[in-house]
Amino acid sequence: MATATLPLRLLPSKTLALPLPLPASRCSLSVAAPVPRRWRRLLASAEEAAPAPVEAEAEAAVEEVEEEEVVEEVEEEAAVPEPVEAQLAAAGAGKDADIFAVVMIGSRQYIVMPGRYIYTQRLKGANVNDEIILNKVLLVSTRDKAYIGMPVVTNAAVHAVVEEQGRDDKVIVFKFKKKKKYQRKLGHRQPNTRLRITGISGYEDFPADPILEYVPA
Amino acid sequence: MEKVEEKEIGFLKMNKGKIFKLAKGFRGRAKNCIRIARERVEKALQYSYRDRRNKKRDMRSLWIEQINAGTRLHGVNYGNFMHGLTKENIQLNRKVLSELSMHEPYSFKALVDVSRSAFPGNRPAVKKEGLAAIL
Repeated sequence: MATATLPLRLLPSKTLALPLPLPASRCSLSVAAPVPRRWRRLLASAEEAAPAPVEAEAEAAVEEVEEEEVVEEVEEEAAVPEPVEAQLAAAGAGKDADIFAVVMIGSRQYIVMPGRYIYTQRLKGANVNDEIILNKVLLVSTRDKAYIGMPVVTNAAVHAVVEEQGRDDKVIVFKFKKKKKYQRKLGHRQPNTRLRITGISGYEDFPADPILEYVPA
Repeated sequence: MEKVEEKEIGFLKMNKGKIFKLAKGFRGRAKNCIRIARERVEKALQYSYRDRRNKKRDMRSLWIEQINAGTRLHGVNYGNFMHGLTKENIQLNRKVLSELSMHEPYSFKALVDVSRSAFPGNRPAVKKEGLAAIL
């Protein structure tokens, strides 16, 4: 990324404030029902194959990592994301961490940066204030290096928190055939999920392409 | 289009308030007069149904144009660029590639270099002539 001109995505005006009361509510939710959630997560991760370039469904694409992460999530749910949040809060206005990743969720690709939110297809089985780890990371780019996954950056993980499970705006589906007295009118609201991205990790060991000086041809 | 038992022209059985709400911004009497507005709103809903499908096609061709422009700055054309990416099994889609070409020029250049090394066939990366070639 240019040092002289910051790309539009890194400008601080577009970032949103992190909701601070999240850590407390997350702790309480996890302690309330640890065991069934662990089962569900383990089952989900067992179904999912190796990160091959297979187009996955919306539910299966969100996989939590192996047992160690799940244990960590249940017992120390506060410990894992809080350092990231504390750092971001301490940084103040510098909420953009000079890193972005391209992640695939529900067979759609998104450019994510820590501190921002994205709307994805509805993730079934994820409740509000859940920690989600996204494994299909196709590209990670920092200020100096670009880690281009072929197709996936191995061991990279994007941490996100489920903020809201809502629905899109209403779309009116209107079908009409002229002169045949056929018309149908239907309203539709697609369910979606809002994810707040908290951090990107695990990409350091991947062979990287250094971002060289920009020489316009 | 006119039903015998109905007094108004047009099929849509929504009440007038809803029709006028959908007819905001229409030209001329189509936003004010119910008979004209009803027809125009019907047409607008049909167009929106068709165009929700067309939007996907249009966006993809726009992304391809943008990627083409971005890669030609580096001396690679779109076809060779995509061929190189598929050879390297990079699965970024065109939407993300066009965003990168617009907002993250350095990462995009790294991608172009990867593609060029996988599938040469364009003019070489940097030509240095004269004194610079020796240095």
